[in-house]
Amino acid sequence: MTRLAEKYLRPSQIPTKACHGCGIGMIENWILQAIDELAIDKQDIVFGTGIGCVGRQTFATWGGDNFGGTHGRALAIATGLKLAQPDKKYIVVVGDGDAASIGTSHLIHAARRNLGVTVVCEDNMVYGSTGGQFSPTTPSNSITNSSPYGMTEPNFDPCDIVKAAGATFVAETSVVQWHQTIKVLKLALQNDGFSFVHVRFPCNENFGSYALGSRDTKKSLEWIWENTKGQKANGEPSGHKWETGIKHDASNSRPEFSKLMRGLAERVGKETRQRELAV
Amino acid sequence: MNETLAASHRLVAPWVDWAARIKQGKWLLETGTYALTEGAIAAGCRFFGGYPITPATEIAENISKRLPMVGGYYVQAEDELAGMHMCAGASLGGLKAMTATSGPGFTLMHDAYGWAITNEIPMVVVDAMRVGPISGITGAPGQGEFYVARYCTHGGNFETIVLSPNSVQEIYWMAIDAFNLAERFRTVVTILTDQVVADMQEDLFLPDDPAALASVVVPRRNNLAMPFFPVGSSEIDVAPNIVGRGTGVCVSTYTHTPEGYDIEDMDAQWAQTERLINKIRHNKAELLRYEAIGLEDANVIAVAYGAPSRTVKTAVLEARRRGVRAGFLRLITLWPFPDQLFERDASYLVCELNYDGQLVREVMRAAPDKNKVHFMGKSAELHTVAEVCAGLEGIAQAGRMPPQPHIWTEVR
Repeated sequence: MTRLAEKYLRPSQIPTKACHGCGIGMIENWILQAIDELAIDKQDIVFGTGIGCVGRQTFATWGGDNFGGTHGRALAIATGLKLAQPDKKYIVVVGDGDAASIGTSHLIHAARRNLGVTVVCEDNMVYGSTGGQFSPTTPSNSITNSSPYGMTEPNFDPCDIVKAAGATFVAETSVVQWHQTIKVLKLALQNDGFSFVHVRFPCNENFGSYALGSRDTKKSLEWIWENTKGQKANGEPSGHKWETGIKHDASNSRPEFSKLMRGLAERVGKETRQRELAV
Repeated sequence: MNETLAASHRLVAPWVDWAARIKQGKWLLETGTYALTEGAIAAGCRFFGGYPITPATEIAENISKRLPMVGGYYVQAEDELAGMHMCAGASLGGLKAMTATSGPGFTLMHDAYGWAITNEIPMVVVDAMRVGPISGITGAPGQGEFYVARYCTHGGNFETIVLSPNSVQEIYWMAIDAFNLAERFRTVVTILTDQVVADMQEDLFLPDDPAALASVVVPRRNNLAMPFFPVGSSEIDVAPNIVGRGTGVCVSTYTHTPEGYDIEDMDAQWAQTERLINKIRHNKAELLRYEAIGLEDANVIAVAYGAPSRTVKTAVLEARRRGVRAGFLRLITLWPFPDQLFERDASYLVCELNYDGQLVREVMRAAPDKNKVHFMGKSAELHTVAEVCAGLEGIAQAGRMPPQPHIWTEVR
């Protein structure tokens, strides 16, 4: 275990059940790095997860309090938790299935409310734990086990969605940009509101093997890097161009949801007590 | 009720004692939804997450006004899935929580039910039933979720607690009772009510003595140490877990260890199931609530719950006045099913607001002779006293009911 893992994670839950070359562990390590650089206490973070590879590999690894939500609903659970325990920071790690498909409505409404959570959408562009079906973020024309003739459905960018819904911090990064990933995670964690960090990472077993024709981690990483730049090493267009970096930063510009709700309860509670005293 | 009947009348519920003890308060003419809201607030509910739906909308409206007055939170969720998950999250964070819905929303809550039941999260869910399937006749009462409330999530391996009120006053007390049971059993308690009880106006005694109320409310406690999940144990009154206090508790969708870690193992599956089933089955005596008249000498016992029990009770009294040895049994606890109330080898006439026959199937299973269990299903309107009287007289005199319009009698 690394120094950060020893400091923040549960030894009994490490290593995870992740496949060889999976990016989930790398991303979790950078989340720890961001937490460590911000000097946030382990007791002050609640770690939430969704379903699928991201949920299964990371649930209960965090050394503090953990919750693993039902598929897509981690943010609904976090909404109740944040109101009950408003002084905690919430990191919710979800996959593209949770964020961009089954749980999108909760994602949108958490962003609209400016719920004080940092959502890390770890996007391998495929449904990995069910064995490699396309997701709403799968690049067009990709061969997967449910798009054997190539991904025909249009995809979308979850960053656009949460930005339109009112998220106060939105960034996209990838597993090949570790320095940028830590930087945006730190910014996300410093926003007292809804932060969304979209991180692409490779799935060798269920995306690489079918869509890229290789289970090789290095090839998967190269493919992500090329498509992040928009061109291959030889200068030819790579087929996709994923803009990364900070996409929207309105950190701390509007009230966080639990603060709004606490404010309401305090105001109405005071008026009620005054009315009762008057009677 | 005449003297003879009063002597054989029995109401078994904790609020019989509460009502006898608590005398300071005010009398109102109010709806079931109002009474439920006030009962929930009195029980310590400080979070409501839900989505408006007829006929439960007024619960959301009332509590959106009341919760901020007592420092609580109303969140209008994006849908019922979110509503119940929010409640589970709030309860995990230490707030007593409730949601309320009707059939179409209730079916959306199955995932959250599974999560809350498995993770032993106390909370209350109210389902004000109406006619279905789906939107059906939205303003009319139904009783289609008797089994759905029992099998409120997928995957099996659990028991549930379901209560049903039949008056405005009772739904007030039942809200407190439901929150108490949720705390004591660390689980979801469902109040299965209907459009009539939710919407009707009746006398309501609203206690206003905080000390008296405190004496009947089970307060929230927080479990701050291992074991977080007493798997294998049927013990109740175990303090609920809390997330956000740094105990290191883990809750998830998976079969769990005492720590809450996910595990794929037969022994762990067995131990978790022993916990989820037996904490309710082994403590069934704590959960029995019912009302009865004349069970001791009845030849034919009319069985009902919720709003239909009101006209059925009147019909039983009328039938007895006419000389029929009729009895009345109103189930308040629907699940775990009170088999012990059906030991008498009598004829049973089960009146419920559906045509498919739900409660009647459990009565057939529990009664000594299923061939003596009769069904009177109606939909969208309560049974009339005349209809039930005719049924009771028919069974008492000829062993069968006369045909009546809009009354379904076949159960196959």
